[in-house]
Amino acid sequence: MANSANTNTVPKLYRSVIEDVINDVRDIFLDDGVDEQVLMELKTLWENKLMQSRAVDGFHSEEQQLLLQVQQQHQTQQQQHHHHHHHQQAQPQPTVPQQAQTQQVLIPASQQAAAPQVIVPDSKLIQHMNASNMSAAATAATLALPAGVTPVQQILTNSGQLLQVVRAANGAQYIFQPQQSVVLQQQVIPQMQPGGVQAPVIQQVLAPLPGGISPQTGVIIQPQQILFTGNKTQVIPTTVAAPTPAPAQITATGQQQPQAQPAQQQAPLVLQVDGTGDTSSDEDEDEEEDYDDDEEEDKEKDGAEDGQVEEEPLNSEDDVSDEEGQELFDTENVVVCQYDKIHRSKNKWKFHLKDGIMNLNGRDYIFSKAIGDAEW
Amino acid sequence: MHKTDINARLNKKKFLPPKAMAYQLYRNTTLGNSLQESLDELIQSQQITPQLALQVLLQFDKAINSALAQRVRNRVNFRGSLNTYRFCDNVWTFVLNDVEFREVTELIKVDKVKIVACDGKNTGSNTTE
Repeated sequence: MANSANTNTVPKLYRSVIEDVINDVRDIFLDDGVDEQVLMELKTLWENKLMQSRAVDGFHSEEQQLLLQVQQQHQTQQQQHHHHHHHQQAQPQPTVPQQAQTQQVLIPASQQAAAPQVIVPDSKLIQHMNASNMSAAATAATLALPAGVTPVQQILTNSGQLLQVVRAANGAQYIFQPQQSVVLQQQVIPQMQPGGVQAPVIQQVLAPLPGGISPQTGVIIQPQQILFTGNKTQVIPTTVAAPTPAPAQITATGQQQPQAQPAQQQAPLVLQVDGTGDTSSDEDEDEEEDYDDDEEEDKEKDGAEDGQVEEEPLNSEDDVSDEEGQELFDTENVVVCQYDKIHRSKNKWKFHLKDGIMNLNGRDYIFSKAIGDAEW
Repeated sequence: MHKTDINARLNKKKFLPPKAMAYQLYRNTTLGNSLQESLDELIQSQQITPQLALQVLLQFDKAINSALAQRVRNRVNFRGSLNTYRFCDNVWTFVLNDVEFREVTELIKVDKVKIVACDGKNTGSNTTE
């Protein structure tokens, strides 16, 4: 495997750092009168979070676990128990029922601090199970990101259908309609946690609605347009993706996202899919307008006549930022290091860096020296 | 207590200046963030004090700085286009686009990367132990 070098060194280095830190702080813990057990708990929490982040290819415990899984698939299962008991305390079989996974997806009101651990905070076993389960499931893979947040909201539509909006850590919103198979995907570039830089929010409506849209369910929900005004709770859908097969790109300014976020946390969220949708009022285009699916096509035509398409395409051309490149990889690729020398000649920059930790495309890499070139 | 013992101790023991802090730079990494989150959970459950957590983080800084300096020996090259640069408080921050990171074994491509670099010239006096 091409990435064997880094795969080997990074987990080892992390493990050695963990060991060093734990051993070094043992005295501090004891001086403070804190029990050794708390120290062990710290170590366990730390290792589990590292495993869950999937930025590293597992520590020896998980490595052994995976190796054993491969072995037992060819051999008897008895060895697995032996290995498990030998190396660790009793561990359950890695094949976990899907319940744990779905719990992660649909669990309501989970806090950000302990996303997968909310399920079983004290049990290391199920944490292991979750970690290995996430690697197995496709849907969970997209949710298994360093932030690990999955708040779920249930939206009761006007027609009484129950929509479940799951907002994953990467900002993707999955709207599940249990009765129909319409699934809408939207992506919100999250505000970056490490760097503290707030990227402008861009939303893309990726999945066009299949076929015709029934009046009951053809509502595209955009977080930016969920407004709670007084007594009315409306979700303002957009007209873009409904009849048009081509995905439309929507750009919104950052200000709308904070507007949407507090709005989303208010419950219940009621969708109005019928109602007054007239195109005569151009004053507040982005403000509350109710669209019926049948009217969406009319609106588009009217909008085109006015020389203005509806909200998103209008604003999307103004935006200069190039945030769309991140798409599925919502991890901010960060390199944290030290510089030996930074050189510039006209617009040619040369970087001499050292002792760095990189997180690229969700994975961790380490270097002792890095040399780079860039043009500004 | 024997005076000779005290004198002997005083003669042997030199006055050490307070140890310089290692860069806290690496706290915002997977390793550092997972440690901070774990410490936060223990603080929340009141199993440790915030002061103790801080001590742990300081120890982490030392450990990671030392480990990177001593236990890592590989080179990486990269090339891309520079979007922004900033030099403030002796810290360089770059944002590069369309970057290729090349190690002997593999090639990594990213559309955007942020590089934060602290001054690496005087790390000899910073790292301890």
